[in-house]
Amino acid sequence: MESIFGRYRNLIVLVAALLVQVIGLAVQVRKPVASLPASAQMAIRNESGGQDAQSVRLIRLWAADLVTPAERIIHGTTEGAANLWNGYLDLRHTREQNRELQQTVDRLRLEQASLLEDARQGQRLQALNKFQESYIYKTISAQVIGTSGSTQSDVIYLDKGAADGLKPDMAVITGDGIVGKVRDVFDHSAQVLMINDQTSGAGVVLETTRIRGILRGNAAGQPQVINILNDSRIQPGEHVLTAGGDQIFPRGLPVGVVEKVVRDTERGSFINVIVKPAANLQHLDEVLVITALDAQLSPEQQADVNLSEQLKGAEVAAEAERKRSAAEMAERLPGLTDPNTPAAANPNTPGAPGASGATPAGVTPAALLPVPKPIPVKHPDRYSPGGVAEAPPASAPPAEPPVASPIGRTTPKPSSAAKPAPKAGAGAKPPVKRGRDLSQ
Amino acid sequence: MTVLTPDYRRELEIRKYPYPVYVLVPLAALVLQAWLPRLLGRFAYMDLPLLVTIYFALGRRNPIHGTLLGAGLGMMQDGLTQGAIGIHGIANTVCGFLSASIGIRVVVENHTIRTVLTFGFSLLASSIAYFVTKGLLGLHLDWNWLDELLKAAGNSLIGLGLFPLLDRTQVRD
Repeated sequence: MESIFGRYRNLIVLVAALLVQVIGLAVQVRKPVASLPASAQMAIRNESGGQDAQSVRLIRLWAADLVTPAERIIHGTTEGAANLWNGYLDLRHTREQNRELQQTVDRLRLEQASLLEDARQGQRLQALNKFQESYIYKTISAQVIGTSGSTQSDVIYLDKGAADGLKPDMAVITGDGIVGKVRDVFDHSAQVLMINDQTSGAGVVLETTRIRGILRGNAAGQPQVINILNDSRIQPGEHVLTAGGDQIFPRGLPVGVVEKVVRDTERGSFINVIVKPAANLQHLDEVLVITALDAQLSPEQQADVNLSEQLKGAEVAAEAERKRSAAEMAERLPGLTDPNTPAAANPNTPGAPGASGATPAGVTPAALLPVPKPIPVKHPDRYSPGGVAEAPPASAPPAEPPVASPIGRTTPKPSSAAKPAPKAGAGAKPPVKRGRDLSQ
Repeated sequence: MTVLTPDYRRELEIRKYPYPVYVLVPLAALVLQAWLPRLLGRFAYMDLPLLVTIYFALGRRNPIHGTLLGAGLGMMQDGLTQGAIGIHGIANTVCGFLSASIGIRVVVENHTIRTVLTFGFSLLASSIAYFVTKGLLGLHLDWNWLDELLKAAGNSLIGLGLFPLLDRTQVRD
């Protein structure tokens, strides 16, 4: 007996190692038996597919504990070197960028304070209509420190875990679009199953055609919407959004755009819609984990909103009052404005692109009223304001032909030899035009 | 033929390494395998734990050592994925055993032989993983064989540079 073991010990060890792993695989992938009741099948599915068994989770924990500390060190070192370069050495144009960013912050605070009331009103209306909608109210930012290392498994590891409030099945996003969902959570790290993995699944909807489907990855690592009946309306470039029915991703988050449509090789009447993900799944650095979808602001967000209201509330009120006064005046004096003139043509028009967005604080609304402009005259005569000037003396050289001004009013081009006409000169006060009387 | 078969006692001797090498090199392989795809994305055509398994199995010429090292590293690889634990484990176990068995019969100092062996064992590991996934587990996962081919080629290239470096760490009598 001893000699047999000594002679075949290599093979015996090999067979034993394989046997242990095969039995382990069999335990992990127990399938529900059809004859079992639904509750028992669900229990087995949860035990085998949804959550790992205790022994399997132990191996995953060991692997994560073995690898993630080293990954954290590597990530921290590279980040530190990058921060050293970007924060202390490569500081060109920093002041200019800082100034521009400060202006952007001011503008955004103004917009936030302006939109806040509308948002509150919208939420009140939705609450009255019992409109079921999820809002992202709390997120945790996390760094991506590693991957699974396997091309068959599109999984990333985050540097935040259960100690930071992460739980399984939380949605992971970036500012561009969705990334995946938290699959397994350890104390100080978490495993995220990305949307381009073949075992993932997310409910999505095509924005234009409103076709719903399930998003999962393919062998090439591309997310695709599967099980869709052949539909010629689906065209490349159409946006794909989350449908919100999977209880993981809130509705309406960007997923990507349709890249191409391919026929399902196994089922001819079905197609697969290959999606180009909005988030760059291959090079993720920082992601956001949605930890709360409750209808309440986080303390940080509430403090930011309060600050915006405090800083910009007066300006928003002044702006609103100015707009209201301008609208009233336009209503009372319809002849002062040309309805055919586009808003973009006049930079002084409120809301036009080019108009200054922020008004100085403390300015009274009356001072901000728009200056009335006369309607352009098609056939100017001597009585038209700014039109043809009075006839010059005979000795004087003839004036040059009139040129059109930017506002459409014809003005004579001043000659170097002749003085400008007193009524139409630059220093003369333009006559105030009263509605239709002067334009006819 | 003398190039391929070990005629010298020196070539038959079992290579030995300092104990830290046995710990740090596999650990580094696991860490880099998990970290490098962050930089390379889908182009990370390599399997460093398998490469380390093949190297130590060829050098040690001990099938039991190769089997256990392959099983351990493979299961750790599986632990980092969301899939079942044992897919890479079985593949690396078989490759470790076969590498050690072949290492007894051929001269493993030859770089060409090691490169060809690495390429072949990488494809074998992919085939075993495919068989386990499809045949044993019955999972309907698509398989991109071009990726596997490129991974085998990447392993061969990396081994060409890595194996001589690891050779320097062995203990000489």
